[in-house]
Amino acid sequence: MAVAGTTGLVAGALGLLGALARSVVPDVLYEPPRRFPVGRPADYPPGSVTFVPERRLYVFNTPAGFYAISAVCTHLGCNVNSEPGKGFACPCHGSTFEEDGRVRKGPAAWPLPRFAMVLSRRGELVVDTRRTVGPDFRLKA
Amino acid sequence: MRSRILRSVFRVGWPRTRQARLQAMLSSLVLHVHPTRVRVHVLRPSYTLGLGLVSFFLFVVLTVTGLALMLYYVPHPDAAYRSMKDIEYAVTFGMFLRNAHRWAAHGMVATVFLHLCRVFFTGAYKPPREFNWVVGVLLLLLTLALSFTGYLLPWDQLAFWAITVGTAIVAYFPGLGPQVRYLLLGGHEIGAAALLRFYVLHCLILPLAMAFLVALHFWRVRKDGGLSAPPARLHRRVPAWPHLVFRELLVFILVLVVVHAAALLFDAPLEGIADATRTPNPAKAPWYFLGLQELVHYGAIFGGVVVPTAIVLALLVLPYVDTSPRGVGVWFAPERRLANTVFATIAVALVAVTVVGTFFRGPNWAWVWPW
Repeated sequence: MAVAGTTGLVAGALGLLGALARSVVPDVLYEPPRRFPVGRPADYPPGSVTFVPERRLYVFNTPAGFYAISAVCTHLGCNVNSEPGKGFACPCHGSTFEEDGRVRKGPAAWPLPRFAMVLSRRGELVVDTRRTVGPDFRLKA
Repeated sequence: MRSRILRSVFRVGWPRTRQARLQAMLSSLVLHVHPTRVRVHVLRPSYTLGLGLVSFFLFVVLTVTGLALMLYYVPHPDAAYRSMKDIEYAVTFGMFLRNAHRWAAHGMVATVFLHLCRVFFTGAYKPPREFNWVVGVLLLLLTLALSFTGYLLPWDQLAFWAITVGTAIVAYFPGLGPQVRYLLLGGHEIGAAALLRFYVLHCLILPLAMAFLVALHFWRVRKDGGLSAPPARLHRRVPAWPHLVFRELLVFILVLVVVHAAALLFDAPLEGIADATRTPNPAKAPWYFLGLQELVHYGAIFGGVVVPTAIVLALLVLPYVDTSPRGVGVWFAPERRLANTVFATIAVALVAVTVVGTFFRGPNWAWVWPW
């Protein structure tokens, strides 16, 4: 009797706490999509580096093709500033990065990620921030 | 008739005899938290500096001003900043209440830290007070968490980027870090979900935890035999009424005066509305985390994970490691020279990196001279 009661009490308490703990992890996020268009190739002049503020990334148009690099510092999440010809500098803790996203000077330990980019059927550049790609990635458009 | 009603509330009238004074301490909910008689040793302001008491009174001030602010504050990104502006410019005494809340919060972080230093330097964490020291360490962490969650609520640039940096540090913790950050923010970025979570933590969950632990902390002071004192001075006692009660009232008045003065003289900062596309340069965490941010500048794992974890763990195990009963109840006891030197070195180093992060770091976290 006592065993059954104790088991019931513990099971009930665990069930409630478990449900509570699980409910705190959100299943639906009302956040901007993580795959989105950033405009047409013609919007980016050849040889340009363009900050897309609402997406927190930089779009490069190089002779070899397009690519997109995250503007979110891999150290602690501030937006890095573009310094033309010199790469990027983070205002929070002083990390600097090369044009291709590699770390030039810490404290950041990881390069700025390069996001997958495709040309949609409507002729728009579409970035997918859920997928990162290697440093050789270029999109011919 | 009037005296009958009064008597029904207070039981004993204004206590004039020694016996009535002892009874008064027992017959009131608020007063019976205290002992009826208290050691002369711990009444001296130079022993405790009143720091625990000041921290508690600041918590009271924060609760009252916080409740008033809650009547106007709206925890949603579309409305939060505007409601801050309303509090500052469209609510009578709104600016004053916000200032009082802000400065009391900053003050509480400082006094809780200093209280911890006092307890260490007087050896007051030693048996039988080990567990109350642990409760005190948890109260320090709660104080920091309360201050940090409140920091986001104004939804201005200062708030947004301080919390960006702060929650990014959380993500560095090996294993669970990114998941904890996701849970804390209710998503991948600081948006509506994060603001609501910080609001509920700040206004309900953390204050309730704080109130419970404060009650436990006070109760343990009584159960552990009152505040610490050297063996030779354990037995000289005086009635708590009036000796303790009126000293506490005096401290409360002083706290109120200082909070009023600070709130009237200095306005709490409110920068432009939060903007995820523009990082201010430099972007700084709240001042009490600037020591961490300075250490994080040398390496995120080192400053954001290793140092704070080591400090908290060391504080938690300290009373179970250092159990020698010598040197309790006096400042800087010679028997405790080694322990005091180690503690003082770490405390001074923490204060030093905090000062560097606050005053000596400019754009791109480069070294600047503050003058």
